[in-house]
Amino acid sequence: MMFDLLAAVPAAESEGVVGEIMKTFNVTWSLFISQCVSFLIVALLLKKFAFGPIQAMLEERRSKIAAGEEKLKRIEQQLAESEATTAAAIAKANDEAVRLINEAKQGAALFTEQKAQEAIASAQQILVKAEAAAKADRDRLSSELKREFGRLVAATTSQVTGKVLTADDQKRINEDALATVEG
Amino acid sequence: MRFFLSTSIVWLFGLISAFAGSETHDHLPANAEEILRLGSFVVTNSMLMVWIVAAFIIIVAQLATRKMTTVPSGLQNFVEWMVESLYNFLEGILGKQLVKRTFWFFGTIFILILFTNWFGLIPGVGTFGWQLSGPGVDPHDTFRPFLRGGNADLNMTAAMAFTFALLWFYWAVTENGLKGFFAHIFAPKGKFSGIMSLMMLVVFGFVGVLEVISILFRPVALSFRLYGNIFAGENILENMMLMGGKYLAWLPPLPFYFLELLVGLIQALVFMLLTAVFLKLICDHGDHDEESEHSH
Repeated sequence: MMFDLLAAVPAAESEGVVGEIMKTFNVTWSLFISQCVSFLIVALLLKKFAFGPIQAMLEERRSKIAAGEEKLKRIEQQLAESEATTAAAIAKANDEAVRLINEAKQGAALFTEQKAQEAIASAQQILVKAEAAAKADRDRLSSELKREFGRLVAATTSQVTGKVLTADDQKRINEDALATVEG
Repeated sequence: MRFFLSTSIVWLFGLISAFAGSETHDHLPANAEEILRLGSFVVTNSMLMVWIVAAFIIIVAQLATRKMTTVPSGLQNFVEWMVESLYNFLEGILGKQLVKRTFWFFGTIFILILFTNWFGLIPGVGTFGWQLSGPGVDPHDTFRPFLRGGNADLNMTAAMAFTFALLWFYWAVTENGLKGFFAHIFAPKGKFSGIMSLMMLVVFGFVGVLEVISILFRPVALSFRLYGNIFAGENILENMMLMGGKYLAWLPPLPFYFLELLVGLIQALVFMLLTAVFLKLICDHGDHDEESEHSH
């Protein structure tokens, strides 16, 4: 091969260095232009069928990812806002519940107190009534007892003395006997 | 498992390639050869190779983008990964604004060079062809292959490099303005006063002239770098194959297949990186600090 190249040099000496090179490597305008055209056709076809669509697809994908990320950010923000709103609502509901429970507790305590007072009052009334009834019964029994006692004392006195007692005697004996018993 | 598979494939490639080329092939010429002539229009074996690679790339691109879904899978996933990785990589070099304008070019450069290099390693490329006979036939070159590595043709590498040179000029002027473009090359960088500014004008003027020469040589260097690497690789494979004799022709080139796979990728990367850096250098407004301040 090298010998061929060297052999080609003297033959082309008259054409100058560029001419020698052109001849050795068979560089001609027609072949050069043909290759230029081939290259440009490939470049244009690749631009149309490969680089164009692929770059458009990559750009579309990039914009979709960016839009997705933007959407995600918005959703996260909405979620945070929603969580904050929910937390506020829960806190408010809690406060309301606590207030209601306290009110209910207070109401229940008041009601219990009221009912207890009513019960106490009622019990006191019952007690007073019972005491009054008991007193009345005792008075009644006491008077009945006094009367019977007087009658027994008078009868006994009458039988012991053998005289008929007047009403005044009976009254006096009764009072004496009662005074002795009660004294 | 993957390593085993890839190793087996490369061994198989070498074996088939060696058998295909063991009987008929003589040597690899420095230039692409004519395989078809339609009037004055000549079709060379490297042109055919580039067309096949281009068709393959376009078909894959079409298949991958025909029914695109938001959640990618299969071929769409692979192509998207490739394009996105390339885009991000170039964005790191060129910046957000410039990469939007120029990605179609740098993406094509990388993909086309990479697949052209790798397709050149497929068995049959450079080994399937026909024998020439008759008067006027070079006795050193009697074999004409149907296909030849696309970048083992200076016309192809020069086509990409000079197309870049034109686009570089267009992008540089539209980004900087014509005045800014020339100022970028010739104007002194930094603030000087008095006699120092005059001296710097002379110094930077001279540097600008050197820069112009460098700019003019860039496409030439780009062309020859890619061509040289790929042509050298094909030569190595070819010569290794010839070293093995009739029955062991498949053995010597095998390690070099791995090397060439790597070279194919590296050269595609180097071409793309260099072109991207050349563009960045001329479009650089020196606003990195401002950008980084904004980013912080």
